[in-house]
Amino acid sequence: MTVKAAVNGIVVLSGVCPSEDAEPLQRYLQADPVPTVDWRTCETLHAAVFQVLLVARPHMVGPPGDDFLRRLAGHLPR
Amino acid sequence: MNEFLEQFVIECREQVEQATADLLALEKSPSNIERLDSAFRAFHSLKGGAGIVDFDAMAEAVHGAEDGLSYARKGTIAISTTLIGDCLACLDQVIQWVDEIARRGDLPRDASKQAAAIVARFSRGDGVAAGADPRPQVEQSVGWVTSILAEHPDAAREARCALRYTPSADCFFSQEDPLARIARLPGLLTIDVSPVHPWPQLCDLDPFQCNLVLVALSSASETEIHKALADVLDRCHIEALEETVRRPSSSLSLDARSLLEAQLGLLESTVNDDFAGKVASAGVVVANVFLAQGDSGLAVPIEEATAQSLAEGQTAPLAHAIKAILFEEAAKPGAPLAFGTEHDTAARALRIDARRVDSLVDLTTELTVAKNAIGHVVALAQNGEEGLEQLLKQRFAVLDRLIGELQQGVLALRVLPLRHVFQRFPRLLRDIAAGLDKSVNLVTEGAETEADKAIVEMLFEPLLHVVRNAIDHGIEDKAGRLALGKPAVATLKLRGYREGENVVIEIADDGQGINVERVRQVAIDRGVATAEALAAMSESQVTALIFEPGFSTAQSVTDLSGRGVGMDVVRTIIVRMGGTVGIESRPGAGTAVRFTLPFSVMLTRIMVVSAAGQKFGIPLDAVVETLRVGPDAIARVGAAQAIVLRNQTVPVIDLREALNLHGESDRRRDAILVVANVDGVSSALQVDVIGERFDAMLKPLEGLLSGTPGLAGSTLLGDGSILLILDLTELCR
Amino acid sequence: MSDRKMRVMVVDDAALVRLFYRETLGKAGFIVDEALNGLEALEKVLSEAPDLLIVDVNMPQMDGITFIKTLRRQEPPMAGIPVLIASTEAGPQDFAAAREAGANFYLVKPIDPDRLLAFAAMMCGVAA
Repeated sequence: MTVKAAVNGIVVLSGVCPSEDAEPLQRYLQADPVPTVDWRTCETLHAAVFQVLLVARPHMVGPPGDDFLRRLAGHLPR
Repeated sequence: MNEFLEQFVIECREQVEQATADLLALEKSPSNIERLDSAFRAFHSLKGGAGIVDFDAMAEAVHGAEDGLSYARKGTIAISTTLIGDCLACLDQVIQWVDEIARRGDLPRDASKQAAAIVARFSRGDGVAAGADPRPQVEQSVGWVTSILAEHPDAAREARCALRYTPSADCFFSQEDPLARIARLPGLLTIDVSPVHPWPQLCDLDPFQCNLVLVALSSASETEIHKALADVLDRCHIEALEETVRRPSSSLSLDARSLLEAQLGLLESTVNDDFAGKVASAGVVVANVFLAQGDSGLAVPIEEATAQSLAEGQTAPLAHAIKAILFEEAAKPGAPLAFGTEHDTAARALRIDARRVDSLVDLTTELTVAKNAIGHVVALAQNGEEGLEQLLKQRFAVLDRLIGELQQGVLALRVLPLRHVFQRFPRLLRDIAAGLDKSVNLVTEGAETEADKAIVEMLFEPLLHVVRNAIDHGIEDKAGRLALGKPAVATLKLRGYREGENVVIEIADDGQGINVERVRQVAIDRGVATAEALAAMSESQVTALIFEPGFSTAQSVTDLSGRGVGMDVVRTIIVRMGGTVGIESRPGAGTAVRFTLPFSVMLTRIMVVSAAGQKFGIPLDAVVETLRVGPDAIARVGAAQAIVLRNQTVPVIDLREALNLHGESDRRRDAILVVANVDGVSSALQVDVIGERFDAMLKPLEGLLSGTPGLAGSTLLGDGSILLILDLTELCR
Repeated sequence: MSDRKMRVMVVDDAALVRLFYRETLGKAGFIVDEALNGLEALEKVLSEAPDLLIVDVNMPQMDGITFIKTLRRQEPPMAGIPVLIASTEAGPQDFAAAREAGANFYLVKPIDPDRLLAFAAMMCGVAA
């Protein structure tokens, strides 16, 4: 699920993030000049969501708990 | 950085030079087939070189340009300014990469992205084959296995399988999540994700079109991977990796290497209608060498390269694949080296004329003879012989002469022709003049004139400032020139020649010359000179004011001159090199700026320090370290001060006192110390501030200051003011 | 990697040399075909389909260099069969001529049997 924390504007990816999360994520990241994504509680994310991250290249707050996601982390900024 | 990469860097720069010259000439006369062919060959060599050292991103980018030129050769597309511009942009990117490689031994992290951007330039437009399918499938697969194995050596050791999955763009709609599929792979060791087509901007991205290529290594068997990817097998490449060896090039036996090298030789022999036979047999032999070792993983790229060679009618793909394997060890940079002492004077390779080295070798023989001759005199003296002064003088004179020749000879190794810096300008001129409505023809003379490498390399920046200045302010726009009866195309001449001990570089334009009245006005406005002083100056003295710091006659700042007109920067740089700047102007007819530089330079590295508000320079060769210590660390012993540094007592010299400057150091605050070692004795100089460092040729002091103890010479600071260099030997006595 | 036996065709007019090849390679598991000169080799190559040719230079009817040149100008797959030249000559011009003709490697006679096996195995893609 993708949620935007109202207070500090950080986008939180938590649990399972299916393809439906891709569009809201894209909107949030477009709107923010210095986007930040916290994926520490993320378990899985759909390739569509990952594509958005690859293009937007936000600052990532991690590391994610899931092993596979940690392997992907090298493709994204820290 | 190893020798192989150094050679690669040198050759890339040469190829880029050649290609640039060809492209510019081609733009002027698009029907010049020779130039087109030459440019194509240069790009082809660049691609090949990149392939050998496994810089895939660079090979891709250059391949895009090479394709473009290939279509131009076939007549499929026309030679347009756009094509030339795109090729030049590719060369710019290559130079950036080569500089990075020279610095760090590797391409930058985002090289693939940069390469994709270059490739995209060539793919846009009428989609003449270059658009739709960027490159044949075969070339893509050559090396992807080697790449992922090389990038993940730990995973490579356990990997039994490498796979490359390119999902179809609409796979999401069929409920396929490629990431999830890879995540579920048995024995997954590592995964690499990259885009199929260059990524668009975020706002233009359609996240539901899959644009990913996924490459992974797994410790599972080929069969298991096949099962896991059963329903998408048509979009996958799966390679089984043999158990035993992952870095096979290091286990090539001598015989195997001979065989591989023999195949390279075969490919390089002349081919006619035996091309297919030679290529096919060479490919089979190389592939078989790997199969014989049990390295089927390496055989596959060879087979593909063979197929590609046969398809394209070129030996290059197979030859490069073989070279890549033969040179794999040499080419891989390995662990990043610790470039601890690099600073800005990075070690660069030199092309050296073998004859110069030979004459130095002869010189060493003569020096040995001279040394022995002096040794003989020593023996005579030891035997009690007297009246040897004359003999000693003679022999010393010989030695003196030889040492002088040695100095010359060694410095002569470092000379480069001015062409090295002149040749960057035709390209720049194209860019600069395009932004304004001015047409400028660049003429160079004396490009073969030689000067010290340090000077030639340093010359670019000041020349650029002067050239920009000439184009911005000196040269009129086309309409203006025609109205004045001048040819519409202005001429800018770069000229170099030797004059005795010096090298002279002139930049002359046929523009409007310097407006002396305006210079006078600006000088007053900006406080560069008073009205009285100006009244006493001759016209040429007023003209020379443009080199004074704080001066600029720009009426409008174009973005080219963004850094300020920079003529004062020009003078600073030239003077630091031990030279002088001069300027001549004829109103309405043009301006000529002249740099007079010494033929060879001995540069000293200087550190700027401040004491009592005044700046001084300290030669860095004597400096051991700089420290900041608390006030209690300095012990007073009578009138002197000292500090204990690593169990040694080091005298502390307050620069203010030593140079009789006003004021007193604040003893309650931290002290900043520069520790120097002169003749084996350490001293610490106390200063207020430590500033910048730079290289300069020291000018000996003249006139009133020349007798001052403690001063070794002078140079210029960035703002044009004079910096006195301290002589530590005298200060620390 | 297949387990089939590799096929080597030796082209040499000397019966003793052919015997040497037959013994050395045959014992190591290769199938050995023979031809007495280049012309015979050309006739047999298509039907025998060897994995490797070992060719002498000096032969009547058609010498080794001419044979290789002709071979390389045929249709695939015949044109691309790996060729090892075995000759008593050891000068640089001999090596160069062999390469120009299209040979993949050159061994100087008399050939050490172990060396012969090592190269034959490598060029056929099997462990020695």
